[in-house]
Amino acid sequence: MKTPEFHINTNGHGAAFAEYRHLVRKKWLAMAGIIAVFAAAAIGSLASGASGVGLADLIPAILNPGHPAHGIVVSLRLPRVAMAVLTGSGLAFSGVVFQAILRNPLASPYTLGMGSAAGFGAVLPIIFLPAAFARDLWIAGGAFAFTMISAVVILAVTRLKNAGSETMILCGIALMFLFSSLTSFFQYMGAMEQVSEIVFWFFGSLSKAGWNEIALAAVMVLGPFPLILRLAPDFNLILTGDDAAKGLGVNVPRLRMEAVILASLATAGSICFTGVIGFVGLVAPHIARMLLGADHRFLLPASALCGAALVLIADTLGRTVWAPQVIPLGIVTAFTGVPFFFYLLMRRKEMM
Amino acid sequence: MNLMNPEKHVCQTFQKFGPRQGRRRQSKIVFFLPILLIMVVFSQPAFAGNRITVTDALGRQVQVGLPVRTVGAMNSDALEILRALDAGDMVSCVFAEIVRERAFWGKLADRPKLGSWREADFEAIAKIKPDLVIAYERNPGPELEKRLNPLGIQVIRLNFYKIKTLNREIRDLGRILGREKQAAELCGWYDRQLGRVAGRLKTAKHRPSVYIESYSDYHSTGPSSGADEMCALAGGRNLAGNFSIPYPEVSPEWVVSQNPRIIVKAASWANGYEKSGADHLGRVRDKIMARPAFPGIAAVKSGRVMVMDSSVWTGPRAVVGILYLARLFHPDLFGDIDPEKVHRDYIELFQKVPYGGVFAVEGVKR
Repeated sequence: MKTPEFHINTNGHGAAFAEYRHLVRKKWLAMAGIIAVFAAAAIGSLASGASGVGLADLIPAILNPGHPAHGIVVSLRLPRVAMAVLTGSGLAFSGVVFQAILRNPLASPYTLGMGSAAGFGAVLPIIFLPAAFARDLWIAGGAFAFTMISAVVILAVTRLKNAGSETMILCGIALMFLFSSLTSFFQYMGAMEQVSEIVFWFFGSLSKAGWNEIALAAVMVLGPFPLILRLAPDFNLILTGDDAAKGLGVNVPRLRMEAVILASLATAGSICFTGVIGFVGLVAPHIARMLLGADHRFLLPASALCGAALVLIADTLGRTVWAPQVIPLGIVTAFTGVPFFFYLLMRRKEMM
Repeated sequence: MNLMNPEKHVCQTFQKFGPRQGRRRQSKIVFFLPILLIMVVFSQPAFAGNRITVTDALGRQVQVGLPVRTVGAMNSDALEILRALDAGDMVSCVFAEIVRERAFWGKLADRPKLGSWREADFEAIAKIKPDLVIAYERNPGPELEKRLNPLGIQVIRLNFYKIKTLNREIRDLGRILGREKQAAELCGWYDRQLGRVAGRLKTAKHRPSVYIESYSDYHSTGPSSGADEMCALAGGRNLAGNFSIPYPEVSPEWVVSQNPRIIVKAASWANGYEKSGADHLGRVRDKIMARPAFPGIAAVKSGRVMVMDSSVWTGPRAVVGILYLARLFHPDLFGDIDPEKVHRDYIELFQKVPYGGVFAVEGVKR
């Protein structure tokens, strides 16, 4: 399938071709910049923490199991960084997908009600299961299950009514209200300690994820990614409108269906072990879009990296600026991302 | 009759009849005067003698009109103290969550409900019309007084979960309910337990470092939290004791790098009273000890990791929790202390229900 850039290519003029090559070079440059920021964020996160193990000790600590900092770096910091990368990238590229199929710059992984559904799924075990049961697993399972339930409801409505993006958004908003009111209801039922647990879950945290959880999250987040990347050209076309996309050979209902399933899976994987982390899924796609344009072949990996970097930076700041107290991740993501987002917003006019 | 000012009324009576009216009338007055005064006293609730002033949990001087015959308990801490003061019969309505602990509360769980601990059902309260409603200092919000006072229902905010103010609040409630004797007994019992701990701690050579974890993982308890107070009274050094906020999140790395000698964790809704074994708390304990990098921590190595049921973790029974903690922190000083026995005494003496359940689990075999 051809993308807008290839149309420029076909006009045969040397100047236009040079311009296209220049554009592509700029995109790769921006991509390299994003990769550099991401790498710096990951190393920075690995090199900072309460125990004071710094950059110099990092490599020996990882390679040598006898090193005193081995446990700190390998058992605590590496999983944290891995989970941050998975969560940030999963939310960010799901955000891109939802913004594309709903053709709405305000869309995020939570627009179709998935955040509230996940929250409700987590609240149930917090209220009804005593601490002794494998509660963390149930909380994660509940969050995952309800994220997927909300996706299935959206898909069912879309299929039955042959609905477009507006109906999907309305349906998502309805689900969002339904699940948040259910959450509030159970919160209302809860005792003091349960209410605080619910509040803390919604703040989000990377502390609870061990390697087992990371492996599960990786399957859910990284599994759909190549499949979504394969759909990138179709996302480019759907932005021109359903009819235009159909005219260019895109099976729009099928694309929406596949996209919702894959992106919901990635969203569920991103948040079920960490809590509903807001803002990343909305803003990371825009940051990437402002840096290297709306071509989804570039946009998808770039926003995944932006999202990962954003969560890494937010988590590192959350752990260090007010140490030894930790500022919960869900709070810092917005603190960190908003100033940069505003800066980019002032420079660009178009959102999509 | 001028009920607002009985003296004025009596003066007017004297002036009206004067000295020339004869002895028969005077003797009538002498006969009716005491009756009149008694009538005045009983017909006036605003009479200064049957209002008492107490300091509530927000530090305000609050006047409570007497007599208080029926009480609404908005939370379990208030209800527990009411039952301990032998005032269970005065409780006309209770918080909605009580049904979860039916075994502990018995018939009290069947009393009409006045809403949850932080959201009052005003209509239900208006219908039951208790003389007094007892609530926490901030939950439900100030709308509680705003709505109930116009209906003639008084509200008092008493926490009963802060050790520092517990005895004062109990004595005040005792005065309000005419249960001064029971209040003195309960306060005396608390003082004896706390005094015993403080006395033995005088000879303590060190205060072991403690990582206290609240109900959520990696959420500790800082200054002005109930658990921090308990830890200090039990002779421990709370690692988050000098933080800036009462319920801070901490990173696993911080916990590991602090290398606490002891770890204490609160188990939420463990409902210990109804449990016959310690498995439920043991599983929580096993999970803490198996957390990444935790096996290297001194507390985990020595097995000094305790999981405690929320019913002895702050609240009116915090003193039992303190005894559990003191024995864990200073086994040399408190080896002969049996917190379970103290707890049993409290439950049987003051709550007047059979003792049962499991409230703490620790690795140290006794």
